[in-house]
Amino acid sequence: MDTSQHNNSRRNFLKKTTALATLAIAGQVIAKAGEKDEQIAALFEKMPLQLEVNGKPYQLSVEPRTSLLDFLRETLKLTGTKKGCDHGQCGACTVHVDGRRINACLSLAIMNNGKKITTIEGIAKGNQLHPMQEAFIKHDGFQCGYCTPGQIMSAIACVKEGNAGSPEQIRECMSGNICRCGAYPNIVDAIMDVKKGGQVI
Amino acid sequence: MINFEYIKPNSIKAAVKAHTKEKSASFIAGGTNLVDLMKKGVESPTRLIDINGLPLKQISSDNEGIRIGALSLNSDLAEHETVKEKYPLLSMALLAGASPQLRNMATVGGNILQRTRCLYFYDATLPCNKRNPGSGCAAIGGYNRMHAIFGTSNQCIAVHPSDMCVALSALDASVTLNGAKTNRTLTLQQFLRLPGDEPELDNQLQKGELITEVSVPSNDFNKYHYVKIRDRASYAFALVSVAVAMQTNGKTIQKIQLAMGGVAHQPWRLTAVEKMLAGKQMNRENFEIAATLAMEGARGFGQNNFKIKMGKAAVLEALLKAAGI
Amino acid sequence: MGQPTFYIENNFEDERVDGIDKVTGKATYSAEHDIENMAYAVFVCSTIPKGAISNMQVGAAKNAPGVLDIIHHLNCPVVPGYNPYFKDPNKKGYEWRGLKVFNNNLVYSYGQPIALVVADTLERAVYAASLVKATYVKEAFSTNFQEDRTKESRLKKSGDYKRGEADFYKTAAYKIEAEYDIPIETHNPMELHATTAVWNGENQLTVYDKSQGPKGTQRDLANNFGLEEKNIRVVTEFVGGAFGSALRSWPHVTAAVIAAKKTKRPVKLMITREQMFTTVGYRPEAWQKIGISASEDGTLSGITHHAVSNTSSYEDFGEGIVNVSQFLYGCPNVNTSYRLLPLDLNTPTWMRGPGPATGCFALESALDELSYVLKMDPIELRLRNDVSVHPVNKLPWTTRFLKECYALGKKGIGWQNRPTEPGSLKENGMLVGYGMAVGVFGAGRGQAAAKGILKADGTFVMQSAVSDMGPGTATAMVNIGAELMGLAKQKVFFELGDTNFPPGPTQGGSGSTSAIGTAINAVCAALQENLKELAIAHIPAFKYAKPADITYKNGKLSLATGDSIQYTEVISKADKPLIEVVKDAARATAEAQKYAMNSFSAHFVKLHVHPITGVISIKHIVSVADCGKIIAINPARSQMVGGVVGGIGMALTEETVVDHRYGKYMNANFADYHVPVNADAPPMDIYFINEPDHIISPTGAKGIGEIALVGVAPAIANAVYNATGKRIRRLPITPDKLVG
Repeated sequence: MDTSQHNNSRRNFLKKTTALATLAIAGQVIAKAGEKDEQIAALFEKMPLQLEVNGKPYQLSVEPRTSLLDFLRETLKLTGTKKGCDHGQCGACTVHVDGRRINACLSLAIMNNGKKITTIEGIAKGNQLHPMQEAFIKHDGFQCGYCTPGQIMSAIACVKEGNAGSPEQIRECMSGNICRCGAYPNIVDAIMDVKKGGQVI
Repeated sequence: MINFEYIKPNSIKAAVKAHTKEKSASFIAGGTNLVDLMKKGVESPTRLIDINGLPLKQISSDNEGIRIGALSLNSDLAEHETVKEKYPLLSMALLAGASPQLRNMATVGGNILQRTRCLYFYDATLPCNKRNPGSGCAAIGGYNRMHAIFGTSNQCIAVHPSDMCVALSALDASVTLNGAKTNRTLTLQQFLRLPGDEPELDNQLQKGELITEVSVPSNDFNKYHYVKIRDRASYAFALVSVAVAMQTNGKTIQKIQLAMGGVAHQPWRLTAVEKMLAGKQMNRENFEIAATLAMEGARGFGQNNFKIKMGKAAVLEALLKAAGI
Repeated sequence: MGQPTFYIENNFEDERVDGIDKVTGKATYSAEHDIENMAYAVFVCSTIPKGAISNMQVGAAKNAPGVLDIIHHLNCPVVPGYNPYFKDPNKKGYEWRGLKVFNNNLVYSYGQPIALVVADTLERAVYAASLVKATYVKEAFSTNFQEDRTKESRLKKSGDYKRGEADFYKTAAYKIEAEYDIPIETHNPMELHATTAVWNGENQLTVYDKSQGPKGTQRDLANNFGLEEKNIRVVTEFVGGAFGSALRSWPHVTAAVIAAKKTKRPVKLMITREQMFTTVGYRPEAWQKIGISASEDGTLSGITHHAVSNTSSYEDFGEGIVNVSQFLYGCPNVNTSYRLLPLDLNTPTWMRGPGPATGCFALESALDELSYVLKMDPIELRLRNDVSVHPVNKLPWTTRFLKECYALGKKGIGWQNRPTEPGSLKENGMLVGYGMAVGVFGAGRGQAAAKGILKADGTFVMQSAVSDMGPGTATAMVNIGAELMGLAKQKVFFELGDTNFPPGPTQGGSGSTSAIGTAINAVCAALQENLKELAIAHIPAFKYAKPADITYKNGKLSLATGDSIQYTEVISKADKPLIEVVKDAARATAEAQKYAMNSFSAHFVKLHVHPITGVISIKHIVSVADCGKIIAINPARSQMVGGVVGGIGMALTEETVVDHRYGKYMNANFADYHVPVNADAPPMDIYFINEPDHIISPTGAKGIGEIALVGVAPAIANAVYNATGKRIRRLPITPDKLVG
C-alpha cells in the first residue's frame, strides 16, 4: 500500500519523515555534546559505542548504565520505541537486534556495540509502509497506539520465527506485548493476514 | 542506577580474573534479570563483566547426552533440533517461561542463576534475609502467594522462578563451573540450594566462578509433559509447575522422574513419587496416590496454602497428560 | 462462531485517521517532544504510609553529577493554588483537590512524592534520586479495607436511597443474600504518565501532558499557579491510554511545572510504573452486600444493595456503585446505601465504567444466583423485569434496547447449549459453562465547542481542545464532518490535543462523540449558512436568492432554478482563503428533564474450566451494545473488544495487593499485577444495535467506552458457576479459587 492512500495522515507522515532524515546529522551533534559532557563530569565514564540503527551508523559515547531504550529515545530521539514498564514486563520497547526481537529496556546500550538495531522507524521503505504496518491499520490492531510499535516489531519477528502458524500460536507468541486497550484479536487478525499474504517481510 | 565500570573480556580466564579482582563485580550475559535488579537497586555492581564475547554458545550432543554452552539463548535451546527431538520436555519448559523477547536475550546460565521473584527481595526498602541478611523475612506473614511450600527455613520462603530448571532437574542435568582455581561439575539439584540459614546464597557458585556448560544425560524416556499453572494464560511466573518424564513399556512405568517448580528455593525433585510409581501401571488411581504422596511434607504460609491442593492437581494432571489418559 | 450482524470486516473507510502516525512511531506522546535544553525530573517517594518527614538528606544527591535541583517541602516555591483565595472574591469556589505535593512534611500514603530530583540526563536524575533519604516520625495507620469496613465509626455516609419497603427481600420465599468483593484495580495504561513543562516567560507556560482533558489541565494549572488560562497552552497530541487515570491533574503535573520554574529549564517528568500505582489513582476496593427476592414467576419484589468502597485520608472519592440496583430493573421495594472508608492510601479515581463496573458485578451476579433459586433461565429473569420507564425518576428512556441485546447475544453464544445444572456439561474433558450479564452506563451530552475551517483548496479542518486516549475521536469526527459537509473523508481533518483550539470536554464517561459531534453538527450548519450568504453576496446567479432558497449538498450550493456552484468556488470568489466558525453546543440539560439516558450492553461468555487444575479458558465472548448510532465502525468495535479484555482482567487476573503491615502496594509492576495478555483474549463477536438516539445527540451516538467493560466480569463469574457450581464472589477468579 502506498501511503498516499492515507491522505488524512499523509501530510503529517511526510513532515515527520523529513524530520527523520535529518536525524543522522542530529546524531553527530549529540555525539559532540556528549564528548564535552564527559570532560565536565570526569567522574562519569562514558564509553565509545558504535552501532547501526535502521541502517545508519552511529559513533557515540554512552554511560554504561544507559539502557538501549533510553539511548534510542533520549539520545537518538527515536521515540517510536516506547517505555511502558522499563523492566521487561510489557514489550512496548521491543526492537530487533541483529534481526531478533528483544526488550530494549533490559539491554544496556553498550552491550549492543557493533550490532544492528531496527526500530519501528526503520521498517517502512520511504513512504511505503511495511506490510505489518499496513495490516495493523487495516485490522485496527491498536487504539491508543502506545504499545503499537512494540507489537509491530514483535509481530514481524513472530512471522519470521515461524510462530504465526495459527491464531493460537500467534496469541502465545505475542503474549510478551501487553496492550491495555485490548486490541489483541485485531492484532492476531493483522498477523494472520500478513502471514497469509506471504509478502517478504 | 550507579554508574559502573564495563568490560568485555574475550576469554574465560580473563573474565574470571576480572571478577576475582573486583569486590563488587557481576558477570552479565542476557541481562534480563541483572539489569532489572540494578534498576531496582537490589544489585549494585561496580564492575560489570560482559561475557557475551566468550565461546560458550555451542550446543553439541552424542550418545552420552547433550552439552549446552552456558551462553546459549533460551530461544535457541528451545528450538534446537536435538532438544526438540530427544529432550522435548526441556523445550516445553523453556517455551513456558517468560516471553519470546526475553527468551531471545536470556541465556541458559543466566536462567539458572536468576534470582527469586519474591516481592520483598525485589523491594530494597523492606526486610529480606536474602538481600540483606539478618533483616528478617517479610514474606513470612506477608504477601506470600507465590512462595515456597517445601524446603523452607524460618529465614526465607522464596522460590526459584525458572521453568527451564524444573525440566533440567527432572532430566538429571549437571552444571559445569569454571573459576580461577576450580573446574567442577555439580548436578543442578546440588547446585541450586535450599535457603537454610544462608538464604543470601542461591547456589553453590563461588566468587569468580562462571557457569560454562549445562549437560543433560541421554535417556530413554518416551512420555513426558510440563504443566504450568499461572495467573494468566502466558507471560507469568508459575504458581506451580510440574515436569514429568517417563519410560514405559505398555502400561507399565519402568522409570519416571519428576520435578516441581514454584514450590521451593530449588526445583523440587519428587523422589518418593518416582520410587512409588516405578514398576506400577499408568492409571488414574496410581497417579492420584502419587499426587497425594507428592505433597507430603508441604507447608503453607497463609496466602500460599492453596499450593498444596494445586500442587497435587498439577502432579496428577502432568502424569495423566504424559500417560495420554 | 456467529456472524456479527453489523461489523463489516476490514472496513477501509474507517481506518483511523491517526493510523499511520501510530504504526510508524511518529505519533508524539507527552514525553516525546524534543525540546532544547530539557532537564529530566525523577520523583523520590515516601517509604512510610503515614507520618511526617523529620529530615531530608539531600547532600549526596545534590553533589551528584548533573544534578540541577532537588525540590521538596523545605524549598518548594509558593504554589498560589495551595492556599485558598480568601482575599480574591473572583476565585471564590476554587479549592485545591488532592495532594499538595511538596507543600508540607506530611505523608498520607506509601509512595507519595516527597522530593523531585532534576538533572541534565535521565540516568543522572535516577541515580541522584536514589541518594535522597528521608527520616520520618511515623504514625499509626490503616490500609486494611476488609478489617475496617465493619467499623461503623470509620465510615463516611455517602447517600442512601429507598422506595417501597426497606429490606423487603428478607421476608420473601425466593431470595438470595450474598456479599461481593472487588480488590483495588489499577488503570495501568501502557503510556506512563508524563508531563513536560516549559515556561516561556514569567507568566507564559506550555505543558505537554498526558491528559484526558487539555482544557481541564489548563484550568487546573491556571488555578494552581495563579495564571490566566490564556497564558497556558496544554498540548496532548497523543495519549497512550488512560481509562480514567488522566481525568485530573495529579502531583507530577504540578511538580514538573514547579521544577521548570525553579530550574529555569524545560523539565520532563515521566513517572515510573510503580508510581502509576501510587500517584494516579485506581479503582477503589469495594465490598457489597445484596439481598434480592422475586415471586415464583421471577418478578422482582425486593432489592437491598449496600456498598462500601475506600477513599484516601485526605480526599473523598465516591462513585455510583449501588445506583444500578435502583434503576436497571423494575422492582417495587429497593433500598441502597453507600459508605466511604478512608484509608491511608493514595486517592482512588474513576476507572473505566466507574460505579456500574463494580455495582453490576454484585447485582448481575446476584440475579444469576437468584435465577438458580427460581430454576429460571437468567435471560428470562431479566426479560421478566425489563422496564421502559426509569424506576427512580419515572422518565422514559430515550432508547433502551436491552431485549434486542439479549436476543442477539443468546443466538451468538449458542445459549441453547447452556447446562441448566451447574457442572454438568463437559467438552473434551473440560467443564463447560455459559454466563451472561448486563452492562449499563449513563449517557448524555456535555458542553463542547469546535471550530470549522473550510478552505478554498477543498479541505475542511475541524478543531477542538479535546484529547483522544484511544477510542478514535478524530476518526469519528472526520466521519461526522465529512458526512455533514458531503465531502470525501480524505479532505476532512480533525485536529485536537491543543488548548489553542476551542474548548472541548474532558474525555470520560463515554461522552466525547455525543458532545463534540454535536458541536461539529453546529459548526457544519453554520458553515453552510455562511456559504449561502457568501454566494448571495459574491455569485451573480445567487444575488437575489434568500438563504432559505439555497440548498447545500455534497459541497455544492444549488438553487431551484438549477444554478449551482462548488463551495470552493464561492470561497474563492469571495476572495477569501477560507471561512471559519466557532460553535458551542450546550449540555443536554433540557433533554435530561424529560428523559432517562443510558447506554446498555449484554455480554455472553462461554468458557472451559479444567476439572483438575481449575484453570479457566474463555472460549468465546459475544458482546452486544446498545450505544446509539455507530459513527466509525472499526474504532467502535475495537472499543468493545478492548472493554471486554479489560473485563477479563477484572474478572480473572487483576488485583492490586497491599501489605497492611507496611501500608504498601506489593505488586506495583507489570509482572505481578496481571493485565490480560494476548493469550487471555478469546475469539469475540461484537454486535451493535446501531439505533440512533437523536434526543441525546444529533449524531445519534450514545456512548461505548464504559458499557464495553461494565458487565463483563459478572458474565464470566456466572459462566464459572455454570461450569463448576462454584460461586466466586471475590474477584479476581484466579486458579487457586477453583482448584480441587
